[in-house]
Amino acid sequence: MIAFRFVHHLVHCLWLAIAIPAIAEQRWDQSKTKHWAFIAPDRPSLPVVKNSAWARNPIDRFVLARLEKERIDPSAEADRLTLFRRLYLDLTGLPPEAAELDALLQETGSDAYEKLVDRLLDSPHYGERWGRWWLDVARYADSNGYSIDAPRSIWRYRDWVVDAINRDLPFDQFAVSQLAGDLLPGATLEQMIATGFHRNTQINQEGGIDKEQFRIDSIFDRVATTGAAFLGLTIGCAQCHDHKFDPITQKEYYQLFAFFNNADEPDIPVATPADVAKAERIDAEVNGYVRKLPDADPALWERMVAWEQSLTPAQRQAQSEQVRTAFDVPFPNRTIENRFIALAAYVEQAPANKSHQTAIARIRRPKPKIDTTMVMRERPDGRETHLFIKGDFTRKAEKVPPGIPAVLHPFPSHESPNRLGLARWLVSPENPLLARVTVNRLWQQYFGKGLVETENDFGTQGTAPSHPDLLDWLATEFIAQSWSLKEMHRLIVTSATYRQSSRVRPELNTIDPNNRLLARQNRLRLDAEVVRDVGLAASGLLSRKLGGPPVFPPQPEGVLSLGQVKRDWKISTGEDRYRRGLYTFFFRATPHPAMAVFDAPDSFSTCTRRIRSNTPLQALTLLNDAAFYEFARALAARILREGGNSDLARLEHAFRLCVARAPTAKESQRLAELLQAEANELRQKTEETKSIKPSGDLDSVQFAAWTSVARVMLNLDETITRE
Amino acid sequence: MNSQSLFQQYVTRRHFFSRCAMGLGGIALASLMGGRHALGAKASGSANPFSPKQSHHPARAKNIIYLFMAGGPSQLELWDYKPKLVDLNGQPIPDSYLKGKRFAFMDTSFKNRSTLLGTRRKFAQHGQSGAWVSELFPHMATIVDDVALLKTCTTNLFNHAPAKLFMNTGSGLFGRPSIGSWVTYGIGSESQDLPGFVVLQSGPRGPRGGAVNWASGFLPTTYQGVPLRSGSEPILNLRTPPEVSSSRQQRTIDAVRDLNMARLVETGDAEISTRIAAYEMAYRMQSSAPELIDISGESKTTLSLYGIEGDQPSFARNCLLARRLVERGVRFVQLYHTNWDSHGGPGETLETDLEKVCRDVDQSSAALVKDLKARGLLDDTLVIWGGEFGRTPMGEVREKTGRNHHIDAFTMWFAGGGTKSGAIIGETDELGFGAAEYRAHVHDIHATILHLLGFDHTKLTFRFQGRDFRLTDVEGDLLTRLLA
Repeated sequence: MIAFRFVHHLVHCLWLAIAIPAIAEQRWDQSKTKHWAFIAPDRPSLPVVKNSAWARNPIDRFVLARLEKERIDPSAEADRLTLFRRLYLDLTGLPPEAAELDALLQETGSDAYEKLVDRLLDSPHYGERWGRWWLDVARYADSNGYSIDAPRSIWRYRDWVVDAINRDLPFDQFAVSQLAGDLLPGATLEQMIATGFHRNTQINQEGGIDKEQFRIDSIFDRVATTGAAFLGLTIGCAQCHDHKFDPITQKEYYQLFAFFNNADEPDIPVATPADVAKAERIDAEVNGYVRKLPDADPALWERMVAWEQSLTPAQRQAQSEQVRTAFDVPFPNRTIENRFIALAAYVEQAPANKSHQTAIARIRRPKPKIDTTMVMRERPDGRETHLFIKGDFTRKAEKVPPGIPAVLHPFPSHESPNRLGLARWLVSPENPLLARVTVNRLWQQYFGKGLVETENDFGTQGTAPSHPDLLDWLATEFIAQSWSLKEMHRLIVTSATYRQSSRVRPELNTIDPNNRLLARQNRLRLDAEVVRDVGLAASGLLSRKLGGPPVFPPQPEGVLSLGQVKRDWKISTGEDRYRRGLYTFFFRATPHPAMAVFDAPDSFSTCTRRIRSNTPLQALTLLNDAAFYEFARALAARILREGGNSDLARLEHAFRLCVARAPTAKESQRLAELLQAEANELRQKTEETKSIKPSGDLDSVQFAAWTSVARVMLNLDETITRE
Repeated sequence: MNSQSLFQQYVTRRHFFSRCAMGLGGIALASLMGGRHALGAKASGSANPFSPKQSHHPARAKNIIYLFMAGGPSQLELWDYKPKLVDLNGQPIPDSYLKGKRFAFMDTSFKNRSTLLGTRRKFAQHGQSGAWVSELFPHMATIVDDVALLKTCTTNLFNHAPAKLFMNTGSGLFGRPSIGSWVTYGIGSESQDLPGFVVLQSGPRGPRGGAVNWASGFLPTTYQGVPLRSGSEPILNLRTPPEVSSSRQQRTIDAVRDLNMARLVETGDAEISTRIAAYEMAYRMQSSAPELIDISGESKTTLSLYGIEGDQPSFARNCLLARRLVERGVRFVQLYHTNWDSHGGPGETLETDLEKVCRDVDQSSAALVKDLKARGLLDDTLVIWGGEFGRTPMGEVREKTGRNHHIDAFTMWFAGGGTKSGAIIGETDELGFGAAEYRAHVHDIHATILHLLGFDHTKLTFRFQGRDFRLTDVEGDLLTRLLA
């Protein structure tokens, strides 16, 4: 076990990209005594460039200066439609609607682009898009993980993130709320919910485990995640030994550990006090009802024991933890309290107790539905923290107080040595890492790679930045802009660097094969959730509802049978069937296959960069998955409904919905041929055609032929790519 | 010329790759196949990334089945019989063995507590070769004359994920291509209907590190391993939607390909050629994969040879699938089975837990070799069995006494594909600490595997960021004693 955890951290330790000697500037040479990333950034002055007309903002000066040094011209700006779609996808994770494109094309003002940026940053979908960016780091999921992987309720935290991003909560406060919201003076419910950040650890619910072991495991994860998220360091390496590469000792590791070792981990109700009180009153009434039953019916106990014994292991496992604990002791030795807990389970579950169940249901009818969410709550007493030899919690060594690594900026003397103090230390402007690490991850979303390619390792083993001055300028700007994420987004997407065409320039293949110099944009395959969202949006099925409990869109049968405990997946009805991918219920052990196949993170540990694979399994998903076929049918119906009367107009509409641009003549011709061939076959094979259920009163041949066109559109590389 | 014939000229299904490489001149596919490929051996005409490339010398093996025993099997309980270690059980380690050595979880308290641990497993000699095999492997004991046991394997890294990465990519750093990717890059894939590099997994969880173990690194993503799901439905979404006939499905895919092709010309992005190839593959997998997965046609004898029972996912089932994959032209099949970690803690004991994992793999590993041999496939299929490292001769005291990770000597075996059957190669010192002779480093093993496939490991290279990279980095010596 220990070994797994250890290795898990070493994976991070060894996330080293390949050195890029030809490109990385050597400003920070190895001979300096302190590693560059541990020195707070100075704001660099803007470099002088020859082609100053190209530069739209300071970002471009840095990028262009580098390009001019290499005698490379930047690429031309991408065409307007490409830019519009790029902006929509990058800022909201949704493609532009056809009507929006029409309106945009009408706008002639020189600031039309900037106005669009403003609008999109104000859209609630911006929070969904960039909330998901943060949820990767937060390892958010809707289940407990490990082998049991029971559902959990922590979506309120997800909604808090989306909302915080939407109202542009300054990033320092965003961080403090999540790390220590419970410790803020007069902490609000919202600030409590935010502490769910560190409740996104796994919980082991297997029988017979040592709970302390897994509590400590989750703290290891919290330390590693805190290090990766806010420092860009592989601190987890020091769990078992002094860090091999970075100046972090094992003792310092346990000093960080100590900050997190003093919290309880409750679920709290999220409701008005009146509703909570009402629900408690009704629960007490139900409890009273059950407690009185044996008086009238003493044989109930025997029937209960028989029922308990008839349960299969899976059925026992499906009980609440409280009930399982009660079951663990044989009836004669069970406490009175636990007897009644088991009795309540029996009365409510066994089919024989129908009349009681009806009565209980009647009592419960007026009970307000109260959501709960998982939070951290500091304990009044202090837990002692010890160094664990080799990370083994059974082998305690010296006692260690909370503290921070000596190599980083000092802990403010006026702060308390608790999580709140740690959080404030992390967001201090003196922290050399937080702003750099964060702007680097924003950059990575827009260009595919960060300025520092090893986005989770700014330590001595990480790669040097490709544009060190730009990184520092952005970091200082972030702080100067009061940690406003929206301002940083605005800055990046309005730069000429961002607005370049992504067309590959063969002449640069040898000089800069990975486009580190940014002489063009990069084409980026959309994230898993966005692949779904684009299909939903294009087909018109998309529900734009924000937030709420996770939903269960269709998925192939049998997916959940792979887990140790088979879970229900009752397909959501109504608009919940068509919610954005962000809201799909995420079981850690058995994630939705369409998410996993497009590289959604597994949520077992923090993810600071997704990989982008490109496999036949993705093709099979887009081609054959029932959900995507449903999108295609809806898209076909939409094209026929909205796209005018000629095939050409309809094809133009299809292109506009999926890729924003108009088709080329060749593309239209190719799809017209497809339509023709499809109609020919469908007219001949009448039996087959009869089995196709058209949408509404559409002609089945026409509908089926257009469904094929719609499938082509949804399968295009371009549709699932940000150009 | 109308657009239809123009498109057809570009891209009829069969000649798609070669035509487009010519048609597109210096862009995408050509750069994918030509410019960036500094393959020492010349690509043999066609520009299909999976067409076999010309080898450097005649190949002995054309397929590989790599049984990866994730977690580090204890060679001292399984293959490397050390009576002297048994004699010295409980004694401190002689200083001469510890000098300059590094171990996982190394610290002073650990060193102070370490004493030698003799195995409690019984060993016996088997076959013509007289190889010593533990009682835990009664089935593998019956194939010793068909395998070459290499007892002096060494590696550089002593923690699971980095060590797995090292065993797979020749480097502990992320971003290098896995051996399966190198092999499919080098020898291509014979199968037009299935991916050239397939990964199967069994055991309580996936291998540490996950997909990085079969990633293509800086090689084009076309060469990455394709993991199949465990269980009765290894590949989801193989069936065309019920309303769609196969001719309509084909027409749809053809149109996707043509439009993607136009986009490739427009953007020059090589990822689009990977996607085009992925769709071609997906289409063919729709007909080939159900047949591959359906083992109902396998005889009872075969099923019982492997020890397959019911529909449950298992290593045994994956072994049979591996044979079926190879029969269908898949070049590189990698099976991961967890968990071989034996620290002595809960779930990691050298007693019940090791016995269980041995039972998981013993019969079916042996069955695979026997079955391949009986079908005449063993001659050109190299079977590899081994983990990312071995385990220490010292005991590690946790809940029970187990063994720690050990990088200086562990055992792997190789069968078929031009390896020397019945060979016992390399000897460790009398306590099993390190090689007494014939030290075989991971780089040497990689060099030898490539050699068997017909490639000189120093010449199978890929130019990336101004440097020619290879699987063996700047090292690797051929293990000639492994060759038949």
